[in-house]
Amino acid sequence: MTAELPVQDQAPQLVPLNAIFATDFVEILVPVTTAHTMREVAAAVAHHVEGRRVRALPYDKVVIVDGERLPAELTVAEAGLRPLDHVTVEYDMQEPT
Amino acid sequence: MALLKREEWQGFVRDVDWTYTYIDDEAVFPEWHCGTGKVPREAWATWEESYKVSYPEYVATQREKESSAYAVKAALQRSTAFENLDEGWKSATKMHFGGVALVEYAAVLGELKMARFGLNAAWRNMATFGQLDELRHAQITTFFGHEFVGRDAQYDWTQKTFHTNDWVPISLRNLFDNMMIAPNVVDMAIELPLTFETGFTNLQFVALAADALGAGDVNFANMISSIQTDEARHSQQGGPTLEILVEHDPVRAQWVIDKSFWGSARAFAALTGPAMDYYTPLEHRKQSYREFMEEWIIDQFIRTIEDYGLKKPWFWDEFMRGLDTWHHGLHMGLWYWRPTLWWRPKAGVSKDERAWLVEKYPNWEAVYGDKWDVLIDNVNVDNMEATLPETLPWLCSTCHLPSCNATQSRDGTWRVRNWQLRYDGRTYHFCTNACRQIFWKDRDNVNHETVIDRFLAGQIQPMDVGGILGYMGLTPDVMGDDPDYPAWTKEYLGRPVEGIATGGRS
Repeated sequence: MTAELPVQDQAPQLVPLNAIFATDFVEILVPVTTAHTMREVAAAVAHHVEGRRVRALPYDKVVIVDGERLPAELTVAEAGLRPLDHVTVEYDMQEPT
Repeated sequence: MALLKREEWQGFVRDVDWTYTYIDDEAVFPEWHCGTGKVPREAWATWEESYKVSYPEYVATQREKESSAYAVKAALQRSTAFENLDEGWKSATKMHFGGVALVEYAAVLGELKMARFGLNAAWRNMATFGQLDELRHAQITTFFGHEFVGRDAQYDWTQKTFHTNDWVPISLRNLFDNMMIAPNVVDMAIELPLTFETGFTNLQFVALAADALGAGDVNFANMISSIQTDEARHSQQGGPTLEILVEHDPVRAQWVIDKSFWGSARAFAALTGPAMDYYTPLEHRKQSYREFMEEWIIDQFIRTIEDYGLKKPWFWDEFMRGLDTWHHGLHMGLWYWRPTLWWRPKAGVSKDERAWLVEKYPNWEAVYGDKWDVLIDNVNVDNMEATLPETLPWLCSTCHLPSCNATQSRDGTWRVRNWQLRYDGRTYHFCTNACRQIFWKDRDNVNHETVIDRFLAGQIQPMDVGGILGYMGLTPDVMGDDPDYPAWTKEYLGRPVEGIATGGRS
């Protein structure tokens, strides 16, 4: 049996997510990798919606999974996100930038 | 010898049946096709259609209908009527021709199955007429639509649609394979003639014919009316079947009606909803999609099922709430992913049109207005790439339509919820709670792979927008686009614009 490498040492794997951005009207497919941070996941989801259908606001964005806000530097692998999981991306209205 | 009078022979010939002595009844009428279930075999002997027709009468009537429809078509072929039709109405007809022509052919197969495996000879007789009807409908719809190919390449999808892997026909294939191809004939009689035809299309075709006349499309109105009169006859296979099933197995009867009503309602929201509330020119709108559904579909459906001692479906509240949202979300999805369509979707959100939408749907601005405003601003600064998709909408694993149904939170805001299910080692996503429940109960039935499933499995190459459009069969001459951007954006020119995407990035 081969010992599994620590998460941070494994090659990034593709993780297609089911995502919704803030008040958008539709869930979308957003591919990310296990190495992406939540900040990058939020940006990847926002890319398809923000300023296209939902007006951009001057706030940071936060990834929410099962009602829990995930830290911006946490990676997809560390968060335990699996292919086809659902994420919500919201503006973090408490922290204007 | 004098000919017998109709009433002297028809009762006998419409119901010719006999007891098999050289072979078991089960061999002729196997359960997996016939689906009698808890209903005793002999109970089907009482099956009786309310409107009876003989073959000579059928042929004479159909000949007359065909002659009339084709005579009008021939007369109009030389006119300029087509050139004067509104683009929105043309889109509604392209959607109809492509979405319906080969569904009529699938219905031929369904009717043939009932003609062979129906558990009463009168039922089989009625289904034989039904399959002839559906063959005529497949032919007339294909022929009428194909006439326009020379003037507009999108009409080529009259024949092409169901031979492609475009997401719209995949959604419809999933619905109709479950309704017309896969079920045993008892379930089919309740799903197709009773729920879909009696409940939805018969009445919709009446309204559609009126809309066609309003739009000046006499040819289409004529075709639809000709088809509708057949539907009214063969759709009566549902009633007698339901009556017998309800007596012996009301739980099954309720479930079959419930799930087919839901599937039909989802498809109607995608196709009829946008056509009525967005594509039809404002001056020609007689009622909103919600009003149409309430007046023509819901009241009649509830009366029908209550007459048979059944109840409203378990999802009724979710369905009724959806009348204010489903088709608006689907319209926005159709418009945003317009290169995947074989018609030209009108946005239909000018100031006057928005005022009409708010009058009919008081929450429309709160749920959809902000997003259309961002799209309008992008069009007005010529940032068109921001109005075009770079990924796929998530498609529901039951209805295969985009998951785009906003519901209201307790704090008054509107959000799209995620309905998911872990099953057999993977996660499925659904557009609504009822789609999730139907998938769970019907998970061993037909479930086509959604375009998302196919994309993630590597069936679509290259894995980008071009690859997706190629997989769907779209070519540049056919890909949908808005027919008239200024019509709904010019009134907003010059207003302050902020928070829109710049060069693909916000």
